[in-house]
Amino acid sequence: MDDHLDKLHGFVDTITSMKETIITNIVLIGQIPAPTFKEKKRIGVFMERLAEFQVDECTTDGYRNPIGIIKGTSEKKPPIFVVAHLDTIFSKDIDHYYTIKENSITGAGIMDNSVGVGVLLSLPEILRKLNLRFESDIVLAGVIQSLGKGNLRGIRHLLKTWATPIRGAVCIEATELGRLSYYTDGMIRCEVECNISSDNGWEHKFKPNAILILNEVINQILKLRLPQRPRSRVIIGKTSGGFKHGVIAYNATLGFEIQSNSDKMVKSIFNNIKDVVEGIGHEHEVDLKLKTLSNIHAARLNFAHPLVKSTVAVMKKLDLVPISEPSESELSIFLARKIPAVTLGITRGENYHQKNATVEIEPISKGIAQIIGVLMAIDSGGCDEEQLA
Amino acid sequence: MKSSWLEKNTFHYSEFNNLNRLVEEKQRKNLKISLCLPTLNEEKTIAKEILIMKSELMTRYPLLDEIVVIDSGSTDKTRDIASAFGADVYEAAEILPHLETFKGKGENLWKALYIAQGDIIVYLDTDIKNIHHRFAYGLLGPLLLFDHVKYVKAFYDRPISIGKSKIRPTGGGRVTELVIRPLFSLFFPELTQILQPLSGEYAGVRELFEKIPFPIGYGVETSIILDIYEKWGLDVIAQVDLDKRIHRNQDTRALGKMAFAILQTFIRRKRKLGLVDFREDLFDEMIQYNLVKNQYMPDIYKIEGHERPPIIEVPEYREKFKR
Repeated sequence: MDDHLDKLHGFVDTITSMKETIITNIVLIGQIPAPTFKEKKRIGVFMERLAEFQVDECTTDGYRNPIGIIKGTSEKKPPIFVVAHLDTIFSKDIDHYYTIKENSITGAGIMDNSVGVGVLLSLPEILRKLNLRFESDIVLAGVIQSLGKGNLRGIRHLLKTWATPIRGAVCIEATELGRLSYYTDGMIRCEVECNISSDNGWEHKFKPNAILILNEVINQILKLRLPQRPRSRVIIGKTSGGFKHGVIAYNATLGFEIQSNSDKMVKSIFNNIKDVVEGIGHEHEVDLKLKTLSNIHAARLNFAHPLVKSTVAVMKKLDLVPISEPSESELSIFLARKIPAVTLGITRGENYHQKNATVEIEPISKGIAQIIGVLMAIDSGGCDEEQLA
Repeated sequence: MKSSWLEKNTFHYSEFNNLNRLVEEKQRKNLKISLCLPTLNEEKTIAKEILIMKSELMTRYPLLDEIVVIDSGSTDKTRDIASAFGADVYEAAEILPHLETFKGKGENLWKALYIAQGDIIVYLDTDIKNIHHRFAYGLLGPLLLFDHVKYVKAFYDRPISIGKSKIRPTGGGRVTELVIRPLFSLFFPELTQILQPLSGEYAGVRELFEKIPFPIGYGVETSIILDIYEKWGLDVIAQVDLDKRIHRNQDTRALGKMAFAILQTFIRRKRKLGLVDFREDLFDEMIQYNLVKNQYMPDIYKIEGHERPPIIEVPEYREKFKR
C-alpha cells in the first residue's frame, strides 16, 4: 500500500500534463443535453469517445448503460467498477455550452455530473500514460436514469444483470474534492399531488385552493416528531402549482424526501405522512394523492472497513481532509448488494444545480489521482473477502 | 447551370474522421499545418477552442503543428487566456509594424500568413459555442486526401442530400440569402453551389492564399472565393458539411454593415474584372437612421474597404518564406 501511496504525487503531475484531454472530454460530453430518460445522444458520444480511447471492450448492457472495459492481467480476479451517472437535471432547451476560463469551467450540469463523466472517459488514456495495469478488469460505466424519477434504474439494472462478483467500486461525482461517502441513508422520495375539479360542482360551497391544501400537508409534516436517533429528517424540496396570481389554484404538487439511517424509521415516517395525506384529502374533499417516486435502503461500510481506511490513507497522502457524508447515489445500490464502494468528489465548485455552475480546473488532477489510488488499493486485494456490516 | 461541382466536391465531415489516415497523408506529403484564430474580445470562447484543438489534433493526433492567435487589440482577457492555454498569441498591429495599421478580421487573416509556418492554413472563427475538432479536421480532409482540392469552405446545419426523394432546405444566414446569393445568381451562377459562402471557417494551401489580396473587414470571405474562382476555377474548391454551428446572433444593424462591406468588395471585384462600369466612385459610408428624441439622426459608419495586396508582394514575406 505504501508503495502505491508514494506514487500519488507523481501521478498528479502526469495527470496535470493531460489537462487538455481531460477538459476536452468533460466539455464534449457535458455539452450534450441528457435529461433523465433522454440520454440517448450522450450515450452515443460516450461510446464514441471510449472507442476512440481504445478500451478493450466497449458496449452497452441490456438497459443501454454504456460500458467500457479495460482488461486486467488476471482472469480470476473479479472486476472493479468506476461509475458516473450520465443524466442531468437540465432539459435539452437549456444552453449546455460551457465557458472555459483560466481556472474554471462554467455551464449547466458541469457539477452534476459532466466532470465525473469526463473523468471516467479520460481514465483509459490516463492509466496508459501512467503505465498502470490492474489485475482486475476495470469497468467504466456511465449509468443512465439515476436522478429523480429515474430512481437509479440504470445502476440497479447493471448490477442486477452483471454475471460475475464485483470486487469493489468507486462512484465519481464532480464535487466536492475531499468528500468521502461510504454510507447511504434509507430514503423514500415522494410527491403529493392535489387536484381540484375546475367544474362548478355541488360538492364545494367554497372552492378549496390546492396550494393551501398542500400548505396544510406541510404544516402537518412539520408537526411530526422526528427522533434524533435513529437520525431522521423530512426534506421539503420542491413545490409547484397554480395558474396566475388572482385565480384559485386547482392543482399543486409537493416533492419531499424522508431520510434516515434506519429503514424502519423511514417506513414509519412514510406511514405517518400517508395518514396525514389521507386525512386532509378526506376532510377537505379533494383529490390528494401520495406517490412514491423512489426509495433506497440504508447501508454502510464501517469506518474500519479496509476500503474506507485505504481511501482515507490515499486522501491524506494527497493532503486532502476527508469529509464523510451520506450519499443517495449509485453508492447505495452497490452497498445494498454488499459490494464495497465509496463515492468521491473530483474538484471544488459553486452554484451546484444552477445553469451557471462552475468548477475549478486546478484541483481536478488531484481528484483523479485519488481515484486511481483507491483503484490500486482495491486491486491490491485490501478489500477482498470483507463482509459489509 | 450544371451542378456537377456540388455533387463532386461536397463532403460531410464524417468522411474524414479517420484521423490516423489524415496524419499519415500529412506525414507522407511532408506538410506543416497551422491553425489560425482571428480574435477580438473572445474571452468566453477562445479557451475552449484552443483546448479542444490542442488536445485532439495536436496531442492525440499530430495533425496541427501550431495554433496561432492573431488579435485585433482585445480589451478583455482574450490574449492572456489564449496564451495560458498554449496558443502562440500575436497582436496584429505588431506584425509587419512598418505597414499602415488597419483593424479587421481580414487584416488578421492576412498577417497570419506571415506568422504561421504551415503549408496549409486553417482559419476558424473564435465565437463558436459548440466548437469541436471536426471543424478543423473536416476542412483538412479534402485538402489532404484529394490533390486537386486547394481550398475548402465550411457549411453547416442543413446537410444537403442529392438523392432522389431526399430534398432538404439548404442555405446560409440572412446576409448570405439576401445579399450574396442574389449577387452570385446574377453574376456567377456557378458559385451559388457554395452553400454558405460567408462561413468563417475555411482552409487552404499557402500557395493560394499568398497570391490573393485580403480585404481588411467583412468582405474577406467573399473576395477569397471570387479571387480563387477567377484565378484557379471552381474545381480547386471543396465544401464540407460540419453539422451544426452555434454562435452569437448579430442584430440587423450589424448585418447591414456586413452587407455593405460585402457589396463594396463584390462591386470592386466586378469592376476590376471589367464586368461592370460605374460612372462615379462608390461612397464609403454606411448610413443608418435612429429615432433620437423624436428626431431622425443618421448613424454613419465609414467602411473604407481597404485591401491588403497578395502577401507574396511583401518583401519581408518573400524573404521569410524564400519565395
